[in-house]
Order: sequence, then structure tokens, then C-alpha cells
Amino acid sequence: MAAVATCGSVAASTGSAVATASKSNVTSFQRRGPRASVTNDSGPRLVSIAGTRPSVRNGQLLVSTGLPALDQLLGGGLAVGTVLLIEEDKYNIYSPLLFKYFLAEGIVNGHTLLVASAKEDPANILQELPAPLLDDKCKKEFDEDVYNHKTPESNIKMKIAWRYQLLPKMEIGPVSSSRFGHYYDASKRMPQELIEASNWHGFFLPEKISSTLKVEPCSLTPGYTKLLQFIQNIIYEEGFDGSNPQRNILRIGIQNLGSPLWGDDICCAENGGNSHSLTKFLYVLRGLLRTSLSACIITMPTHLIQNKAIIARVTTLSDVVVGLESFIGSERETNPLYKDYHGLIHIRQIPRLNNLICDESDVKDLAFKLKRKLFTIERLHLPPDLSDTVSRSSKMDLAESAKRLGPGCGMMAGGKKHLDF
Amino acid sequence: MTPSEGARAGTGRELEMLDSLLALGGLVLLRDSVEWEGRSLLKALVKKSALCGEQVHILGCEVSEEEFREGFDSDINNRLVYHDFFRDPLNWSKTEEAFPGGPLGALRAMCKRTDPVPVTIALDSLSWLLLRLPCTTLCQVLHAVSHQDSCPGDSSSVGKVSVLGLLHEELHGPGPVGALSSLAQTEVTLGGTMGQASAHILCRRPRQRPTDQTQWFSILPDFSLDLQEGPSVESQPYSDPHIPPVDPTTHLTFNLHLSKKEREARDSLILPFQFSSEKQQALLRPRPGQATSHIFYEPDAYDDLDQEDPDDDLDI
Repeated sequence: MAAVATCGSVAASTGSAVATASKSNVTSFQRRGPRASVTNDSGPRLVSIAGTRPSVRNGQLLVSTGLPALDQLLGGGLAVGTVLLIEEDKYNIYSPLLFKYFLAEGIVNGHTLLVASAKEDPANILQELPAPLLDDKCKKEFDEDVYNHKTPESNIKMKIAWRYQLLPKMEIGPVSSSRFGHYYDASKRMPQELIEASNWHGFFLPEKISSTLKVEPCSLTPGYTKLLQFIQNIIYEEGFDGSNPQRNILRIGIQNLGSPLWGDDICCAENGGNSHSLTKFLYVLRGLLRTSLSACIITMPTHLIQNKAIIARVTTLSDVVVGLESFIGSERETNPLYKDYHGLIHIRQIPRLNNLICDESDVKDLAFKLKRKLFTIERLHLPPDLSDTVSRSSKMDLAESAKRLGPGCGMMAGGKKHLDF
Repeated sequence: MTPSEGARAGTGRELEMLDSLLALGGLVLLRDSVEWEGRSLLKALVKKSALCGEQVHILGCEVSEEEFREGFDSDINNRLVYHDFFRDPLNWSKTEEAFPGGPLGALRAMCKRTDPVPVTIALDSLSWLLLRLPCTTLCQVLHAVSHQDSCPGDSSSVGKVSVLGLLHEELHGPGPVGALSSLAQTEVTLGGTMGQASAHILCRRPRQRPTDQTQWFSILPDFSLDLQEGPSVESQPYSDPHIPPVDPTTHLTFNLHLSKKEREARDSLILPFQFSSEKQQALLRPRPGQATSHIFYEPDAYDDLDQEDPDDDLDI
């Protein structure tokens, strides 16, 4: 409301500027503003919706994904009208967290939510959202979190390579002046009042679908059809396609898309009957999103999909693709290189929206860790080789990993104690 | 003491494994193979839950009822509710006792229970169902059955449901097995070495890290479990102890390590591009040694010692 009022006064002043210009007739170029005869303002050209900001590169309207570190990696945030696809980790522990951060950000900003799942009731998902951290408390919480993990090596100023100290670090603490991304406490639940005050719609597949539906070949699985109809209804009824003058963003969250619980058999068989169902769904969904003020997050168990060609098609049909790889159960869990982290995060695709190049960051080796309260994404650094008697196998691991890591990695590659020049 | 408490107070170690498998509820997947069969473990779990007073339903599809009930004493046999789909799987004899809709109908009917008593449903076998029903339908029904008690609002009305599914790994490709194991709360893979059976148990609690353990066991004729220590396995050392690790910094012609004095001298060295105040003073001070520096030059035979400026010829 405040934005509209100030724009109204600006419009009045430009109206008077037009009047004076026409009187003095200095130039034949007239500013095409609202006419002075119109008493009620026709509305500002640029509407500011809560929780969005234009991108600094190309003015695209962005929303936050709920994790400011992920926003930074995606070039400022998730563009409105695009799909964020999260490739789930093997035991599905960390991808629900990203899903919930996205929804929690929507509640904090006052956006409308649409939660679709075939596994859990959406009301239960909303009960488990993390609590937002308010500005005055969060600085204190961050300081104590960061302090616990401070290593003595980080305090040494670099003497010879002192220019590398000026490299920008990954931002893991809160910026108190930003209202765009919020921080959340993963150990606490969102307060009930906030959830009830928000406007949300849930789609739980077992309730919406009857089991005796006939499926025609080469068409969408009935579950997907129902979900698309539901999304279209919500967009149309609540005016997210531009018909509602009070603009708001619709945040859509779809959990475990492609799993057998949605009725899709791409995880069960390599050449099933409905192998095009998922790709058709994503195509239609993208069309719905591009013509409305909405952003969508989808988690998909791509490690279960049998046909690798489908994964490639799904990646192409989505806009932003982020893959999570957790170390649980793999041999990397015991690798000393990865001992501080819980998994790797791969940014597989960033879209080129109205642009020839995309806004990728130069940091390609990223790892995440779930601390008690925070989910952090950090650049992967090799730890210093501190022990004098390092066994040969771990030395070879480090050497191989050093070859894999990009040039943007830390300068501490290689042992410190062994070679002193 | 009620019989269930008596059963629980039995051998402590034996109860741990079966208890942990049944305690979590949800779908328990027993993956067996030709060498290490899982039906005896399934029957041990059935016996355990029957003794604990739970309602036990058996969907018998792969073996006949007599063969399944063999080995159980009459007390347990009376408590089992057996649905026989082995004798007449397609319901050709059209008798009333057959369940309408086949095994899938039986599972769907169990979704609509309202009893507060905990229930164990044993599927013998899940492989049989997977080969005859579409995988997605089976996954949806299993999820609906095993998650009846997960609503936080009315958790008191419906008791805990455990679905024990016997899956023969070798019959299916990685797709269906992967899909079912992503739905399962507990996964038991049977294996073993040298005549001793082991169970690798993977527990997936929701929103927590999965825990896994390997347990060596054997099943006694009355279908009670006997836990054992594994066969002694020599641990393979990572590096061969006979060959000491080679240190490449010995026997070098140059010095790779610094002594303490040398390290101090290195730390106190001012680097050439570091602009400190001493350096500034050294540059601004007039150099005392300037007067004593000379340049000695021997003129060559071909040198032109003309003092004129060759640029004078240019007309600027």
C-alpha cells in the first residue's frame, strides 16, 4: 500500500511537469505519463511485490529460495516463472530440507503456497517447516555457531599470497540489511500462528484420485493430470496470471515427483508404458508457470530413474537443476577430505532467461553440511595435511582429489609439514 | 505374567534383533536369495509378533498353507489369520471365503481398519505380487497400508502396522527393488559366509540418518532366533606391515626442512613488494654509499665518442 501511495505522488508531479513543458514548448518530445485530468492514478508501472527483487544483471524478477547461500549461487535468486529441480540424495534426508526452506520463505514473505505430495499430507509438511530467525537474535546465534567451528589456521594472514585474502568469501552469515533472503533455525518449528495466517493449498494424491481410473496409453498419468488441473485452477481463481491487481507470488512445491507413489513407473521399469508422462508434465507445468507469477520447486528421486535418457530430458525441461549427493553409506564418508561435510551439492544447470549467457558462479566445488540449526553451503577446501606420518592411501586420495578440484579452490593444497622451502 | 510378557522376558539378545525389526513399524523388506532363504526369518518374525499379542495376517501366495503353518505350535497357529491365495489365485472356484479383488483387494481392505490393536501383515511373498501386479499400484497400496498410523491428529485410534514383505532379489531388476527399498522403513538383506547366515539391517527413520548393522544368526527348528558372533575374519591391514612407508625426503642432495634459526630468519625477512615504514625511510634517506660507487668503462675501438646529440638533426 505504501508503494502505491508514493507512486501516486510521483505521478502527480510528472503530470505537472508535462503541463509546464507544454506551456513553454521547448521540445516536441512529450513525456508519456498519466494525464493531469485523471484524478485517480492508473497505477504505477513497476509494482513491488513483497519478497521479490529485480536481478542486477537483467532486471528479471527474483524470489529467494530460502537459503541465501543458494540464492548467491543461482545469481541472486530464483526467477519468477521458473522451475527449481532438486535431485534427491539417496536416503532423502537433505532434499526435504531445501523443500521446506522454500515453503518457509513463502510464508515469511506472505506468498501463497501450493504443496503437492503423494507421500505425506501437505498439512503435515507445513507443520514441520523451520522457524525463521529474526534479525536481532540471529547475529548472536550465528556467532556462536561460527565460533564453534573456527580453526586456528584461519587466523593466519597470508604473507606472500596476500592478494588472495581479498577474494570474496562465501557469505554464510546474515546480512542484516537484506530483506530478501531469510535465515531459518532447522531445530525449531515454525510458529503455528504464522502457518495459519498464511494462504496455502494442499494436494495430497491419495485423496484426490480414485483407484479405478482407466489410463489411456501415451497420455499423462492420472495423478499428473489432476495436479496440473489443480494448479491451473488455483492460478486462475486467485488471479496469479495477472488478473488480480494486488499481485502476489504463488510458490508451488511438488515432492517426490516421478516416484511410484505418483503412479509413474519410470523408477520401476526402463521402458514403461508411460515413459513420456513425466516429461509432458514438466512441459505443461513450465507453460503454466511462464504465464503466471509463480515459482516452483520440485524434488525428484533421479537416482531411482532407470532410463538415463529421461533424466537428461527432465534436466532440459527444468530451469535450475541442483543435485544433492550425500556421503552416507558411500566410501566417501570415511575420506578425510570430506570429514567436515555431509555431502556435495552440484549446480547442474542455470537458465539463460532473456540473455545469451547465464549467471554461473566461478565456484564449482561445493559441499553442504547440516549443523544443528543451519544448512550451510561452502566451498570445498582441502584440509591441511597436519600429521607427519600420513599413510600412503590417504595421500593418494588427496592427490587425486586435488586433481579433480578446480582452480578456484583454496591455496592449501598439498602438505604443509613435508615440504618447507 | 501374561504370555506376551513371558515371551519378552526370554533370551535378551534374541529379542533385540526381532524387536528392532518390528518396533519401527511400516514396511520391512526381507531380501533373500537362492543361497540364503528368508522364509524362516519371516516365520520367526510372525511367531514373535503373534506371541506379543498383535493381530497377524498372512497373505500366502507362494507356498501352501500347510507348508507355511508347519513348525508353528497350535497356540500360534490359532492366532494367525491366513488368507490363502496359493490354492486358487485367480478365484476360479468362486467360493465365498476367497477375498474379492485378490491379494490387492485384501491389502486395500486392511487400509480401512479402525482397530487400536497393532497389526502385522506378512506378505509371502512380495515377489509374487510384484510379478503379477503393476509396480506403481503395489507401491501405492503398500504405502497406504503401512502409513495408516502416521497422522499426528488421531494417532491413538489406529494401532501400529508392520508389513513384512519377502522379496527374492534375483527375480527383479534394480528398478522395482530400488523403488520398494525407498519406501521401506527397514531393509534386511540376507547373506552369509561359510555356512553362517547374516542379516544386514538398514533402518531408515524418517528425517534421520539411516543406521545399519550386520547381525549373524541362525534359526532354530521352532522358529526362534539364535544370535551368534560372526565367523572370525582376519582384518585386512591397509598397508602391508612388511614394507615400511617410503619417506621421499630422505637421501636428498638438497635441504627440505628448515631448522629453527632458519625459520626465524625466514619469518623476519621483509618481502620486496611489502611496503613497510622501514622501507619507506630507506628509500627517502640519501644513500650514504653513493659517492663511493664508480662506473669503470673501457672505450672500445668502434665506439664513437662524439659528444653531439644525434637528435639535433631532427627539425622539431
